[in-house]
Amino acid sequence: MTDARLLPPIPVPDPESAGYWESLSTGVFALSRCTECHRWMQVPQEHCRWCGATTSFEEVSGRGTVFSFIVVRHQSIPSLTPPYVVGMIEFDEQPGLRLTGIIEADPDAVAIGQKVQAIIRPIGESGFSAPSFELVP
Amino acid sequence: MTVAVVGIGRTEYLKRSGRTTKAMAASACRDALADAGLTIADVDGMCTFQANDSSSPMDVAWALGRDELAWANSMYGGGNLVADQIATAAAVIEAGLCKAVLVYRSLNGRSGYRFGTIEGPMQVTGENQYDVASGYLVPPQWFAMSARRHQYRYGSTCEDLGQIAITQRAHAVPNEHAFYREPLTMDDYLSSRWINEPFHLYDCTSEVDGAVAILLVGEDMVRDCKTEPVWLVGSSNSQSGAGWSSWDDPTEMYSRTAGPKIWANTGLNPSDMDFACMYDCFTYTVMATMEGFGFCEKGQVGPFFAEGRATYGGDIVINPHGGLLSEGYIHGLNHHYESTLQLRGNAGVRQVADAKVALVTAGGGPYGGANIYSKERP
Ligand SMILES: [Zn+2]
Repeated sequence: MTDARLLPPIPVPDPESAGYWESLSTGVFALSRCTECHRWMQVPQEHCRWCGATTSFEEVSGRGTVFSFIVVRHQSIPSLTPPYVVGMIEFDEQPGLRLTGIIEADPDAVAIGQKVQAIIRPIGESGFSAPSFELVP
Repeated sequence: MTVAVVGIGRTEYLKRSGRTTKAMAASACRDALADAGLTIADVDGMCTFQANDSSSPMDVAWALGRDELAWANSMYGGGNLVADQIATAAAVIEAGLCKAVLVYRSLNGRSGYRFGTIEGPMQVTGENQYDVASGYLVPPQWFAMSARRHQYRYGSTCEDLGQIAITQRAHAVPNEHAFYREPLTMDDYLSSRWINEPFHLYDCTSEVDGAVAILLVGEDMVRDCKTEPVWLVGSSNSQSGAGWSSWDDPTEMYSRTAGPKIWANTGLNPSDMDFACMYDCFTYTVMATMEGFGFCEKGQVGPFFAEGRATYGGDIVINPHGGLLSEGYIHGLNHHYESTLQLRGNAGVRQVADAKVALVTAGGGPYGGANIYSKERP
């Protein structure tokens, strides 16, 4: 049996995040978007933080740019073995719309400004999935 | 009513205290009361900040022999709350709700709950849940991510961060209370192991077990105290819910708002400060907030330290005690202890000559604040 201490961290979905996790588990990367002013927001909100209208989850392209990144060399998460790259990705859909994820690339190959594409990966055996990113030319 | 710090207290800063946070908080509070020449009977308010890792004001007051408090406030959070705690304690006194307030922070930060370490299985709620897959859940990663962006945008370097670590360590060498007192060279810094690139080991604070207490009273009680008062001149605070991913510009911190605000509130400016205790959970926090509070232009903090302008004989002494990086991580409240010592002229061999006014900051990223203390009554 797997040692529980070695399992990856998992999310605890709440009424505002459930749609995010449900979409990902069906292979769709979707983010929270206002139904009126159509602005995107991450983290998701029940109502738009700008205009107060309702929101829904809509699929995004998964294309973005490396806004910043770190190379993790000190283990802090039991399921992730250093070295690996964590990127903060800014999505093409809207300036400032960002999410972090593993960049599946050699640490030396990663630089700010590079284009990336999201790929949906399972979070261990948890049943949850989340986006990772790969560099695109 | 003008408010002053009249008592300061602390425990030793250790790897393993073997004590409860309640017992350490009570010790630091007793120390602060003895310093001021007051007793717990004079204190009617207490506040603290914690992350489910400490003891409540009611329990600490009880341990000190006080049956009840008129104000007992415990805020959930980190170093971003220190300035706010001091400012709020002063506001509570000014509003007439309390006469004397003890602000304390007590934690077994090394032997107990430790930031930067997570043991699974871990269930992540709220705003952090979106970062589970990347494991982007700990401060040494958040701050390193911001530092990288600063390096990209302004050309700052690891050596620049190293200058901060080295300067502060030099300040800690004569400080008998500091956790790390061995001198640090640039070679030591650069050859230390990576934690999260671009952070080396020495970019990160020194987690310790311990407690600090700061006793504030209104001017009407100052004359009852045996110490020279250190007056609170003004405060500022800026707390954003942007989090680490939506904060628009990680080359800046809360200080881009809290900096201009505190200078406007007090009519002072950076050049009026004789020293500053800059919150330093990481070296990069010092860099970004030195810029934000207006001590340096963007990208100039490394050279500022390298040229000796941040130490004795320079423009301003930054973290004369060694800061959280070298003295120890009492979550920023030890900055207030040091500021009081310095402004009383009681800092011994590390006394900043003729220190009259100081800035004390707290926080990082989207949230934090600052206080200004003065030897002279404002
Ligand atoms: Zn809207």
